[in-house]
Amino acid sequence: MNYIAGSIGRWAIGSLTHIIDILAFNYRMSMLFFHRPLEGRAVIRKVIVEQVYFTAVQAFGLIIPIALIMGSTLIVGFARLSGQYDLGKVMVLLVVRELGPLITAILVILRSATAVTTEVSYMVVLKEIDAIEMAGIDPMRMITLPRFIGITTAILCMFIVFDLVAIIGGYAIVWVVTYIKMGDFLGQIGKAITGADIAVSVIKALCFGVTITVTSLTHGFSPKKLMTEIPEKNPKAFIECFFYCLVVNVIISILFYL
Amino acid sequence: MIELIDYTIAPERAGKGLRDVDFSLSKGDVCAIRTDSPADAGTLLKALATLIHPERGSYRLEGNLLDFTDYRSLLPIKKRIGYIASDAAMISNRSIRDNLLLMRQYYENSLDVTLDKASEDLCRNFELDHLLDLRPGELTLSALRRAIATRELAKSPTMLFIEYPEDYIGLAHLDYFSKTLEALPLSEMAVAVSSDDKHFLDRFANRQVTLSAGTLKCE
Repeated sequence: MNYIAGSIGRWAIGSLTHIIDILAFNYRMSMLFFHRPLEGRAVIRKVIVEQVYFTAVQAFGLIIPIALIMGSTLIVGFARLSGQYDLGKVMVLLVVRELGPLITAILVILRSATAVTTEVSYMVVLKEIDAIEMAGIDPMRMITLPRFIGITTAILCMFIVFDLVAIIGGYAIVWVVTYIKMGDFLGQIGKAITGADIAVSVIKALCFGVTITVTSLTHGFSPKKLMTEIPEKNPKAFIECFFYCLVVNVIISILFYL
Repeated sequence: MIELIDYTIAPERAGKGLRDVDFSLSKGDVCAIRTDSPADAGTLLKALATLIHPERGSYRLEGNLLDFTDYRSLLPIKKRIGYIASDAAMISNRSIRDNLLLMRQYYENSLDVTLDKASEDLCRNFELDHLLDLRPGELTLSALRRAIATRELAKSPTMLFIEYPEDYIGLAHLDYFSKTLEALPLSEMAVAVSSDDKHFLDRFANRQVTLSAGTLKCE
């Protein structure tokens, strides 16, 4: 009995400590926006551009086909199921509000969050963080800030591309390939979509960006001495990023739509 | 310039760590560290470079007590330190040239800076000039270490800590390294060197300490 209670206690303390670490990291990262010295901006800008390139531009080859497949599948399915007059609303509800930000986040977690965790973990083990400090440079500013801005910007761009391709591209594929009647599909989308839908999606994309960056960097920066500790961190970072994004998604949806 | 008082550091993977060490280093000092445990010499140099938080004791630099609780307060100090040791590293996703230029790119806020003449001379004499566009992972260990030494010497440090230069730099380049050290304004710097090379120490050291079982003896 004591053993079970001890295990539960240790797990609870460990989890709480980890969440406090993530929140503290989040706080430190937010503070970087208020302390903005002139020095280092050129280097940081370069890293931001590289991060946007790795996270967004290189992922377009993946997100565009996924958006086309999802968009056309949803249009075909719901055009038959719910009747053509609800199709616009259904697509806005599913693609713009929910699937767009979530699928984008999942892709970024799969491609970039794990890469960021691995990269920073290697930097910790190989003492590269010390090397940055020995140059008098704050590693939080040099590593964290550009990755945060880069990943968040990338998610926002990818989400816009996903929504446009899923709706317009999906519609084009269904129109070309099938004889399904969709009525004035784009007009229905135009009527169904509201400012709140766009605002919620943008907020979700921003929150996912923060969640993914903070979680993956917290795991990356966590103290470790051996290379063999790095593969253990990656799945943890991946699963946590995914779980926290789902939680954030639910909270934002509830706040705005209920 | 530097004063360690009752400095205690737990042993890492090897060695005995440091136990209640009192050590001072003034401007113009080139202090040789003799020890039978290279790991402990490494720990002392790492401690001097503010890379290890002490368990106990205090570190005073120019009379000011260093605060190890906030790493940011140590950054301006680290910037002044040249650290040529086995655990010094380069950033692996940047080329050697970018690594050498990082500090200047950052502080001059420009990506257009190029290697100055002193750095170019160091690179040429350390046979790095054809390796500058490679990543650190593509270099041999000895070339990588020479690149790290180049970066640290090009910083124009006011404190310089060197770990076994005969092994780190390699015998083939030790003579050029020694000449470069001689050309530095050593009277304005505080230098600590761990070495077993008597010739090297005779040439540079003006005082010596012995580190044994984690405690320090001045000679």
